[in-house]
Amino acid sequence: MNNTAIYGVFDNEDSLLSAVRKISDRGIQITDVVSPYPIEELFHILKLKTRIPVLAFMYGVFGMLATFGFLYWTSVVNYPLVFGGKPQNTLSFVIVIFVMIINITIASTLTTFFLREKKGPGAVPKYDYPGMTDDKYFIIIEKSAELDADAVNALLKSGGAIEITEK
Amino acid sequence: MTNMEKKFEFTPRLRYITYALMAIGIIAVVVGFTSDPERGWANLLLNNFYFLSLAIGASFFLALQYITQSGWSSAFKRIPESMSAYIPVAAILMVILIFGMGSLYSWVNPSEHGFDEHELHVLHHKSPYLNQPFFIVRLVLYFAVWIFMTKMLRRFSLKEDMEGGLAYFQKSEFYSKVYIFTLALTFSLASFDWLMTLEPTWYSTIYSLKNFVAAFYHGSAIIVLIVLIMHTYGYFPFINNAHWQDFSKYVFILSIIWAYFWFSQYLLIWYANIPEETTYYVRRLEGPWEFNFYLNLVLNWLVPFLILLPNYFARKKFILAFVIVMLIIGQYTDLFEQIMPGTVGEFNLGFVEIGSFIGFAGLFIYMFMRTLSSAALIPEKHPLLEESLHHSGH
Repeated sequence: MNNTAIYGVFDNEDSLLSAVRKISDRGIQITDVVSPYPIEELFHILKLKTRIPVLAFMYGVFGMLATFGFLYWTSVVNYPLVFGGKPQNTLSFVIVIFVMIINITIASTLTTFFLREKKGPGAVPKYDYPGMTDDKYFIIIEKSAELDADAVNALLKSGGAIEITEK
Repeated sequence: MTNMEKKFEFTPRLRYITYALMAIGIIAVVVGFTSDPERGWANLLLNNFYFLSLAIGASFFLALQYITQSGWSSAFKRIPESMSAYIPVAAILMVILIFGMGSLYSWVNPSEHGFDEHELHVLHHKSPYLNQPFFIVRLVLYFAVWIFMTKMLRRFSLKEDMEGGLAYFQKSEFYSKVYIFTLALTFSLASFDWLMTLEPTWYSTIYSLKNFVAAFYHGSAIIVLIVLIMHTYGYFPFINNAHWQDFSKYVFILSIIWAYFWFSQYLLIWYANIPEETTYYVRRLEGPWEFNFYLNLVLNWLVPFLILLPNYFARKKFILAFVIVMLIIGQYTDLFEQIMPGTVGEFNLGFVEIGSFIGFAGLFIYMFMRTLSSAALIPEKHPLLEESLHHSGH
């Protein structure tokens, strides 16, 4: 972790996007972009790919099967009780299953995300800069031997960065 | 931008197609009335309510866009506006239906329908609300509200085209707010009046909500389908992936809400297991109705939900169109299930049903196209139009 990185700080979405476009058009590898909220367009400009939705769907199916299995085991196999003559394998399972699908999907997807991104409570952030968790937008470019730092600085500046720092 | 000025033209060819459809419908309705008047009335009610619900759903969609000040949909707003042109036609047909009340609604003359003593007592108890004069007064009132509100929204929209400025947008927003409150009340009561009282001793309080959501759901789906068809003919050239994404999001989320209300009604009745409530579903799970019962769920919930779940599919126009065609059939099965067992009683699906549906579709398309061609397709002075033309995901 001796590598230093260039931090371009922006104060609005539009100049961030134009800078990101300019830099990626030059073929320069952008290490990370930070924004206070998700920006759909970034996804397209940086050509990012994610398999999280597929995974979330699978977690949902798993949640459904697991919850149904549990309910079936508790109220039909292991400890059947008769409520007003209702069948033991009942329709009201649907509500519990519905809620548990949401619960299991969110919890597992978030866990996967944090593990994959090595984030979460107690994790030491790889890139840190004052204001990063506030209302500012950041472009982070890791420095390497091939990187033309001056060109990057110029691009960030022309994109409307309010601050450019190396750290 | 030359395409932008393109106005939709109601060519003679299209006009003749709709006439042909209407002719099929008239034949089917006549055949229906001559073979069995009750079947004829039931079909009239079903199809009229079907297309009325699309028109109401579309006008609700329009009102919602004003209230939320949505920009993305502003270029398409002429479509829901034109769809609500069916409401006056529906009003005329509902007035005609008053003459069929005796054969459709058993509460009109309960002594002739073999109700037992308890049921007669229940009907007597309901009679201050369920009587013919009050029924007609309410019917007129509902349509007065809907026609007035949709006409006002349309008028503001046309005036905005001439004069521009924010004034008409703000007026429309205010009227939309009034409209959704009145619509909530009137459409709920209308679905109670026209559909639920077909089986007058049965009741469900969530019934109207379910029908309201179905109207919104299928109305929005038809808007999307119309935009899709017109897009393939070169209208709305600016449409991009973000628009399709938002359209399919609408259909997708409404499919979940629809299923939620459907299940809410079914589960509570199933669980409480009170005979006077369960008769409704028992009847619909017997014999030929059973297939229709499950088909309804599959078409209105399972198909849209599973197909529109992946992002990739949601943006494919062909797939979106397929889903909406399923929904068109879905709304029919839904209303068929609600209306037919309580009126005709036996499962009939033949020329009368399909033909009269085609005829009403022709009528609906005629009213829609006539209204659409009477004004510019793109509301050029809409304050949020630019947002719609350059819509990108967010």
